[in-house]
Amino acid sequence: MAPSAVFWLLLGGLYFFIPLLTTLLFSLKSNQTGKCCTAANYSWVIHNGEFWHTLKISFLLALETIAVSLAIFVPTIYWVHLKVPKLRPVLAFLALIPFVVPPIVMVVGLLKFYKGSPSWFYGQPWGFLAGAYVILAFPYMFFSLDAGFRSIDVHTLTEASQSLGARWPTTLFKVILPNIRAAALAGSFLALAIVMGEYTIANLAAFHTFPIFIQYVNETQGFPAGALTLLSFGITWAAMASLLLVGRTRGRRAAVLTGAR
Amino acid sequence: MAWIATVPFFAYALFFLFLPAASVLIGAFQKEASGYTLDNVRELFHHPYIDAYWGSIKLSLITAALGGVVGLFIAYAALREGTPKWIRGALTTFSGVAANFGGIPLAFAFIATLGPLGVLTVFLKNQLHFDLSAHGFSLFSMTGIGLAYLYFQLPLMILVIAPAIDGVRKEWREASANLGASQLQFWRYVGIPVLMPSILGAIILLFGNAFAAYATAYGINSGANLITIFIGSYYSGNVLNNPHLAQAMAFGMFIVLGLMMLIYIPLQRRAARWAK
Amino acid sequence: MEDYEAQEQEFWRKLEEGEMSRSQMLKRSVAAAAGLTVLGSTGAAFAARGAAGAAPPLKGNSISLKELIAEAKKEGHLNTIALPPDWANYGEMMSTFQKKYGLAITNDNPDGSSAQENQAITSLKGDPRAPDVVDVGPSFAVAGAAAGLYGKYFPSEFSTIPRAMKDTRGLWYGDYWGAISIGYNQNLISTPPTTWKDLLKPDYKGKVALNGSPLQSNSAVSGVIAASLANGGSLADVGPGIDFFASLKKSGNFIPVQTTSATVASGQTPISIDWDYNNLAYVTEFPAARWKVTIPADGVYGGYYAQAINAAAPHPWSARLWEEFVYSDQGQLLYLKGFAHPARFNDLANRKKIPSSLLNALPSPALYAKAKFASLGQQSAAKAKIATDWTAKVGA
Repeated sequence: MAPSAVFWLLLGGLYFFIPLLTTLLFSLKSNQTGKCCTAANYSWVIHNGEFWHTLKISFLLALETIAVSLAIFVPTIYWVHLKVPKLRPVLAFLALIPFVVPPIVMVVGLLKFYKGSPSWFYGQPWGFLAGAYVILAFPYMFFSLDAGFRSIDVHTLTEASQSLGARWPTTLFKVILPNIRAAALAGSFLALAIVMGEYTIANLAAFHTFPIFIQYVNETQGFPAGALTLLSFGITWAAMASLLLVGRTRGRRAAVLTGAR
Repeated sequence: MAWIATVPFFAYALFFLFLPAASVLIGAFQKEASGYTLDNVRELFHHPYIDAYWGSIKLSLITAALGGVVGLFIAYAALREGTPKWIRGALTTFSGVAANFGGIPLAFAFIATLGPLGVLTVFLKNQLHFDLSAHGFSLFSMTGIGLAYLYFQLPLMILVIAPAIDGVRKEWREASANLGASQLQFWRYVGIPVLMPSILGAIILLFGNAFAAYATAYGINSGANLITIFIGSYYSGNVLNNPHLAQAMAFGMFIVLGLMMLIYIPLQRRAARWAK
Repeated sequence: MEDYEAQEQEFWRKLEEGEMSRSQMLKRSVAAAAGLTVLGSTGAAFAARGAAGAAPPLKGNSISLKELIAEAKKEGHLNTIALPPDWANYGEMMSTFQKKYGLAITNDNPDGSSAQENQAITSLKGDPRAPDVVDVGPSFAVAGAAAGLYGKYFPSEFSTIPRAMKDTRGLWYGDYWGAISIGYNQNLISTPPTTWKDLLKPDYKGKVALNGSPLQSNSAVSGVIAASLANGGSLADVGPGIDFFASLKKSGNFIPVQTTSATVASGQTPISIDWDYNNLAYVTEFPAARWKVTIPADGVYGGYYAQAINAAAPHPWSARLWEEFVYSDQGQLLYLKGFAHPARFNDLANRKKIPSSLLNALPSPALYAKAKFASLGQQSAAKAKIATDWTAKVGA
């Protein structure tokens, strides 16, 4: 391994792991004595019903957000790269708007606007909240997918596929998608992380998701807060790893089919 | 007519982005009672609001630039040939989590590490006789907050730039080596120019990400001079209560980001002349 | 059909209070003529169905408690908001209420601010998840009343709530008050601070924290006002308080970290300036921190919070039952158990209803007797000054 690579990876590793290590030390302290070492804090989290309940809700919400995001954004960005490149700067600009309007203010606009809507949409996280999260994920999805589409030759791939007689859906799913797999996965990771970490909108819209639970524990419990932080970090990481594995097996099959380079 | 296929996207954006955002931006020009006014926006040019904008912009620029450059190096280090394959998977999945690890847990982790009574601070002072505060470092300054921001800026950069780095083909490096170019020359004339549009896009994303960040900064320094903290105070705090001023501040953020885009688009165009 | 009824009730209520402006009345008649009504969600219909039954009473005295409980049981639920379980013993308050009356409570956004409570009333209007009752700071109570967010109700014990702590129209009423205190971790603090001036000592470098920023947290604003009282300022002038924190910051004593359970337990905020009920709760909550609390005699500042009922509460009867419970002797003593002075403290003391064990757990009454309370006008002035000066002098 190149020495410069070792240096940068080591630097990154130290920077990322030291705060986590500190949190770990904190989470092993006992509430009675203030000293190491006890698993009581982890036990508190794992035996807490709200922990599992909100975790499930957030996971399902994340999967829904990823599915809807990919369904809407991949075809759109593909189309823009292929046929209407002039719209690309427009999309890029739109991708910044979710940043500009801070969630704390955006949620009020969303609540005002959707107040009259049917309760299966407004009262359930699967409707209203997922809709908002797709927009929150949009900047990350866009820049990931955009970088991905840039790195492949969209025109050649499409023309080749079409000259072999494939129609649009086939081209999109069997030719284009496997080639932007890495970018789509990166975007999905970010969407998953966003949903597992988004607090403001869920809070003001009165839904009970996992980040709400985390915030609650952080404000009201002492040492269990550290345990919960690490558990949630670990769980989200595991979810990402499984997404990676899923993407990898699917991708491998598809790449064989298309006989790519 | 080709743009027709983008209609589903724009329709979605209309209902979940534009209309809610517009209602907020309109609120910037409204008064508590009914009626419209420019007063809220005029206020923004006075202290302390203008200072808060400047504080946010500086912090965002620095963490975007630093996060962009260091993130690029780390991503490249993980993706180049010679590095074991598992490092890539570990790094990208970790980055996915860390990119959204913010708010109070992150703030607490940094306070517990680098705060005045933090583990690392105490260790440096007692074991290595290196007093951080004597050397001018305070976690609560913009430097300290920026250091915490990097925790989600770096992973974001890594995630966004990784697919682009993949696009720098091994064949090009081989061809360039065959033609007698050194590593440095390859990067300067081929690698970086090809990556530049994606790098610029990523840095803009990082800027926006830092600019809109709130919970992490508040968790470390509840009185930090950042515009998002002001918005929180005026919109949903327990003390001040001026939602229209808060919405005006959001409008101001919109303008700042619009200006960034104006800088980004010509830079982008220049950089993209290598593509196609 | 039922939406229309709910809107009619709302209309008559507003008209009665003279809150409906001429333009609103005109709009209404035009809308009625065009046969239009507001988009109704099933939630609004649900709420209207509830309201279309017997109308909830205006005065707690006018109805027997049994009747109130029976009607509340029909609703079967109560929505609260922004009630942290370890703030003034709300945890026990809510669980006792649930057990006593068999009504489930959903507590939303436990760490929400008063602004968010009022906003929730507006943004969740018509939704069955809207809060039924709120507990807000006085300026937000006044703002909420002015915006028509609250419904009128006079709890049975209304007359024993101090005049300065309630709205005479029955829109809001103070529930408990506390004084600003200094809490500290005995493991990390060898010489305990007893006065505001003590906090400037170099021993406390990097150790003094507030419960948030004075631009966002009511507790922090009150801390600044208390510091002002101790440093030559007054309720009308918060400047010396801001200057005090500026010098505290300059000496490196002040850290701008918001105290939370985690920072107290871990020792990252060894000294915390906060309401007495919060600091006193930490003593038993975190034995490892060996927390101790003192009220600095040179500047004692008191502040209260207020209860109000959502005018469009999804469970109006449960809301009123909650208020009856909160202002009953039992409810008020639960606040005292959480180290907060209930609004009816003087009444309870006069009737000798306060167990001495509860009194002994609090700092000396002599200190509390010195507590000064700022009027709403003084509070607004203080906040305005902090808004302009704090970030420049203490923030960055």
